[in-house]
Amino acid sequence: MIRFNGIYYRYRPGAPPALDGAAFNIRRGSVHGLLGPNGAGKTTLISILAGLRPLQDGSITIDGEPLAVWRAARPNAIALVPQDYAFYPMLTVAENLDFFAGVQGIARKQRRHNCLEAMRFARLETVAQRRADELSGGLRRRLNLAIGLTGAPEILLLDEPTVGVDPQSRRFLLEAVRQFAAISRRTVLYTSHYMEEIETVCSDIAIVDSGKVLAQGPLSEVKGGQNLEQVFLQLTRDSAWE
Amino acid sequence: MLIRLAALWKKECLALARDRHGLAALFIMPTVFILVMSLALADSLSGQRNATLAYATLDLDGTPVSRALDEQLSATELLNRQVSPPSEDDARSQVETGRLAFVLIIPQGFARQIGANQTPTLRFLVDPAIPGMVRNGFRQHVEAIVIRVWLAHVLEHLGQSMMLPELHRVTGRVGAPDIVLESVTHGGSGGAPLALPSAVQQNVPAWLIFSMFFVVIPISAVFIGERQRGTLQRLRAQRVSFGLVLAGKFAPFVLVNQLQAVVMVAIGRWLVPLFGGEALTLPDGAGALAALWLLSLAVSAAAVGWALLIASLARSSEQATVLGGGGNILMGAIGGIMVPRFVMPVTMQPWTRLSPMDWALEGFHHVMLRQGNVMDILPAAFMLACFGLATLIAASLLNHRISRA
Repeated sequence: MIRFNGIYYRYRPGAPPALDGAAFNIRRGSVHGLLGPNGAGKTTLISILAGLRPLQDGSITIDGEPLAVWRAARPNAIALVPQDYAFYPMLTVAENLDFFAGVQGIARKQRRHNCLEAMRFARLETVAQRRADELSGGLRRRLNLAIGLTGAPEILLLDEPTVGVDPQSRRFLLEAVRQFAAISRRTVLYTSHYMEEIETVCSDIAIVDSGKVLAQGPLSEVKGGQNLEQVFLQLTRDSAWE
Repeated sequence: MLIRLAALWKKECLALARDRHGLAALFIMPTVFILVMSLALADSLSGQRNATLAYATLDLDGTPVSRALDEQLSATELLNRQVSPPSEDDARSQVETGRLAFVLIIPQGFARQIGANQTPTLRFLVDPAIPGMVRNGFRQHVEAIVIRVWLAHVLEHLGQSMMLPELHRVTGRVGAPDIVLESVTHGGSGGAPLALPSAVQQNVPAWLIFSMFFVVIPISAVFIGERQRGTLQRLRAQRVSFGLVLAGKFAPFVLVNQLQAVVMVAIGRWLVPLFGGEALTLPDGAGALAALWLLSLAVSAAAVGWALLIASLARSSEQATVLGGGGNILMGAIGGIMVPRFVMPVTMQPWTRLSPMDWALEGFHHVMLRQGNVMDILPAAFMLACFGLATLIAASLLNHRISRA
């Protein structure tokens, strides 16, 4: 279980908090959706879990261990797949994968194995020798995802992974996420603006607004028999009024 | 750690190998500069080849004294005497069209004035495109010849009136003295006169330094791309520290700088002579070569540090090109790369010390022109290393602030 407890984060002294006591749990082996309007605090939460921002207050534990301790023992266990195409356009697909595996300190033999696995998973074998800037939008998204898999992570953080892709590529990516989580104890934290994506791929969700978690739990419980979009709009509107 | 560094180094090398603009800035630009400047300044800097500064005299006096002045002037190696124009109007026309750099007009009554111990008045017609330094040189040369002509006349006159034929013989020996130029070099005193540094000897270190600082273009292109695409953030999420990212960029570009040094020296040594210029000569001895290598490492440290600072400051590649390229040109202009320090006004010369390119050039001159060794270049190398360290620290602090924002 990944437990977020009373997470508080402020970008600058005096600024309103980006996270204001956020608390929720993620079951290991689940695909957990993080829903919220722009500026709700989703990216800040993901950044803290990825180690990009320090924890100012509150605690995060993974399987009972503090985040820092857990990560120190498993340096490559959390991977972030950002919304941007965060790779090198002048390198080929294979070179990009090899580079991102290399900077995680993975030795040559293991790196080769991991890269092949990631390439196979994202179905990039046929374009392995093509430069990244020659790929279509859908293939770039797949490369972005494949890079996240080069370290064979246990926890995958996906930040809006389907922005700007065609329906076929979106379907492929969603299927890939489900397959990834199907392997024992692999966990996905998935942020998206698309309700149908969340409903398709996630087993649990947390709805975040103004730095607070408004609802969390299994998707069916949060929905309570209603349409997810209705629930989301109702909760976030209430939050805005408050 | 080594696996991570090796991955970063490999990526930088691949990225640079595919950056045609960056490679052009690093290798083709300085090659062209060295070739063009070495050939263009060959006569100005070497002093070993005859210049083709065309001039003519318009002798309106037509006396043996005025002819003596004309003959002595035509014997000057640096000048190229042309046929005398038939009139002053024609002389003016030839200067105006640039065919002649100077026309010396010897007025009617010149010999009479010399004989009467009066100061003669000579006139120059000058092409305004001729630099002031050259104009003054020509003027002083003519003044010296007139004084010699006048002295010969006085001695001959004295010999005749005092019935001393020896004085008449002395007049034949009044001429320009032989002056031997000797370059003062490290441990070179008392030896045979050494050749003055040629244009290629001056230009290779200058443009090499300039081009080494141009690593700012490829470094900032990759770095800004990494920041804009979120790749740096991804690397941080993969627990790659910013120090490691810097180290990943530092070593490959130091290597690139060393490769530039080898290529530029080879160009000075073998390519420039193919185009009619003089070949670059390197100092003898392991000490001098070690000094050159140490100095080029120090220049690399300064250049890569500077490039990383610019890459951290700039928000786009365009900004980096303006800041880095403009900064390099400014450092080159102040630092004596484009205009040698000794040509600058005295009031401006101390300002050259502000430019790291000047420190580097001074170091290279110590070794390549003055036969210096490692001890001689240590101050320059130390200052360059400090500059590199300071810019690296500033780049780190800046990135730390940006990543926390």
